[in-house]
Amino acid sequence: MIVLDPNGEKLNLMALNVGPTHPATHHCVRLLTALDGETIVAGVHEIGFMHRGFEKMAERGTWQQVIPYTDRLNYCSAMMNNIAFCRTVENMFGIEIPERNKVLRVIVNELSRINDHFICVAAAFQDLGGTTPFMYAFNPREEIMLIWEKLTGARLTNSFARIGGLYRDSYNGFEEDVLAACKSVEKALKDLHACLDRNRIFLDRTVGIGKISAERAISYGWTGPVLRATGVASDLRKDEPYYDYETYDWEVVVGTQGDANDRLQVRLAEIEESVKIVRQALKRLAPGPVDIVDPRIRVPAHQMAYQDMEGLIGRFKSVYEGIRVPQGEYYCGTECANGELGFTIIADGSGHPYRIKARSPSFAHVSAFAEMVEGLTLSDSMAILPGLNMIAGELDR
Amino acid sequence: MNNEAEKPNFITSSLDFIVNWGRTNSLWPFPYGTACCAIEFMSTEVGRYDLSRIGSEYVRFTPRQSDVLLVSGTITYKQAPILQRMYEQMAEPKWVIAMGACASSGGFYDCYCTVPGIDHIIPVDVYIGGCPSRPEAFFDAMFDLQKKIKDESYMKMRTERVKEQWELIKAKTAEAKANAAAMAKSKIADIKDFAVEKEQKLIKKAQFWKE
Amino acid sequence: MESVEKIVSLLEEKFGAQRESLAKWDACVVIAKENLHAAVKFLKNDAPAKMEMLLDAAGIDYLTYPNHEGPRFAVSYAFKSMSTVGARVRLKVLVSEADLKVPTLTDLYASANWLEREVFDQFGILFEGHPDLRRILNHCEFVGHPLRKDYPAQKRQWLSTSDYLVPELEKRLESKGYKVIERSEEINPVDEEFLEGSRK
Repeated sequence: MIVLDPNGEKLNLMALNVGPTHPATHHCVRLLTALDGETIVAGVHEIGFMHRGFEKMAERGTWQQVIPYTDRLNYCSAMMNNIAFCRTVENMFGIEIPERNKVLRVIVNELSRINDHFICVAAAFQDLGGTTPFMYAFNPREEIMLIWEKLTGARLTNSFARIGGLYRDSYNGFEEDVLAACKSVEKALKDLHACLDRNRIFLDRTVGIGKISAERAISYGWTGPVLRATGVASDLRKDEPYYDYETYDWEVVVGTQGDANDRLQVRLAEIEESVKIVRQALKRLAPGPVDIVDPRIRVPAHQMAYQDMEGLIGRFKSVYEGIRVPQGEYYCGTECANGELGFTIIADGSGHPYRIKARSPSFAHVSAFAEMVEGLTLSDSMAILPGLNMIAGELDR
Repeated sequence: MNNEAEKPNFITSSLDFIVNWGRTNSLWPFPYGTACCAIEFMSTEVGRYDLSRIGSEYVRFTPRQSDVLLVSGTITYKQAPILQRMYEQMAEPKWVIAMGACASSGGFYDCYCTVPGIDHIIPVDVYIGGCPSRPEAFFDAMFDLQKKIKDESYMKMRTERVKEQWELIKAKTAEAKANAAAMAKSKIADIKDFAVEKEQKLIKKAQFWKE
Repeated sequence: MESVEKIVSLLEEKFGAQRESLAKWDACVVIAKENLHAAVKFLKNDAPAKMEMLLDAAGIDYLTYPNHEGPRFAVSYAFKSMSTVGARVRLKVLVSEADLKVPTLTDLYASANWLEREVFDQFGILFEGHPDLRRILNHCEFVGHPLRKDYPAQKRQWLSTSDYLVPELEKRLESKGYKVIERSEEINPVDEEFLEGSRK
């Protein structure tokens, strides 16, 4: 298309479509650009290629049946979403979960965060053409996946948390496995830093690219590591602590520039902090119950159901009718790997959720994408996108 | 002019063997990964599982250079036309694997926006269950696909593929033949006329000189 | 939290807001449509705890809600303060089916753009003054609004071709001060010839 630019000069722009099948857009973002040479003059982007109706599906089942759907929001760290949802509903019930459950949730949360950040960094490297770090990052990830398999029975979408409890207690030897995983995470971090810190090509392509100011990021609703990369120390684990996060010894990682490189470096540094938390949490893991004892909220254990009439009734009722969350509405945000995952829940007092709206961090991050790429080259735009870590399931829900 | 290839004989069968051997051991996948299954595919590619062992060394992100379209993840109605276009862009021979419950049947998203199985849009060779399917299941699907490819006949497929073209050529040849025959006939008639005329002229000349 | 209580009482005083009785676990006020923009401006700039971030806009359809009286739809905005740690407020606007218009917040928050597009897409609530109110999650040929309670969950709608984004691109160029003289050669994506070309 031929246009007049603001100075009155004639320009011949090319309209070029990028995605959704471009490898860096993960089949879920489409970007239409107006190119002047290789510079993007203007861009519009479109999402919705993965909209699979989380909210409509959640209205059709019972409260417990929502948990598998939350798994598939951010499938790189599935259990964090379970925990976020269960925490919201538990707050509505006003119940306090047992100590061991809290510690287990912290461990699972932080290991999931490590998993998620590794995938993000690995994909970022892959999209920039580096295959080696991709392999390095997947080694500890596989090790954590093995722990998931032993703990929950599934590799990726685990559905581990329950409202008022956990699917099951940890297995024998869980602590040793987690410690071994922590060691290999640290080793992989070393390898990754060796690939990343002084890699000329990588630095040239990411430093100073896709800068965003803290004000603009806040206005776009950014949360999590991408907001912290702009220099805002905002972390719900510190600001509105839950599961005793404030009693662990760790620090909020903050970036300086807010560019593509910072977003990845902050993630790598957060992995270190997560390893710290996991190590401390393992020391606190004392024996005790993981489920609360209330047949109206948490399904009674199998032993109860087989031996006790009350237990059987509780089990039957909570499976067939679902638990009854008190009538009302509530918004609660939890710090997930990508940022604040919030659930706006409208409950009508029955066994089915009336409406659940997920506030996904990726949605806010990707909404700024078109503005960020304007003025950069086409190849830069693909260096920015993986750093935002958009996960299709969470972006379009 | 018969199509010799339609009848199987010694040469074609061994050619089939060689071609299939080559194809089975270098299946380059095109990962059309939209959701959770794509992450499991990434796990399949690297480290512990290592997809390169069975010859799928290269993961190509372009439909032009790949053999297997690997649909891993939910396909929504918004994505459907794009998937169809991708499939059409792939060069023959091409195979499709539907990885995971979502791609095979829509999975547990029985909803206004999800396609209930990609076989509504494109043909599928192998389905894998699971949500998401494990890397082992993915390997199993690849072996199944390899078996399937081993049973295919290259020459048969080729004749089917060029059948239309072949018939077109046949028709054209016949037409050209008929044309040529007609032309030859008219030419012969012309020459005959010319010869008769010449003869008569010669006779006339001879008579003239006689006189 | 003190500052949140202060904000709620200030909103009640200034804008005639009412506490939502259903919100038992967080601070939520129902506000009249006319006062929404002014109230949000107050929240962002002058409130005791400035609400710098608009986290979420959730549409709600009360069609089958037990014992519900009043308008059918509502939009719930979730705000978060960055300067005062941990301060959160929700605003709720009730929208009747006859008048589906709500003033936009796009001039105050950049995140409002997509959030409002999503509410429009899922519930059909119109945001007055929104620069680009299109569908975002569903495709361009979709009819109806899927998250309304009267939309059957399994009513599927096929799409023939992808969205054609060039008009939006031109709009974006024009908003940046460029002037389109000659449009690029239009390719109709459903054109038979074009499709044939891709098949070959």
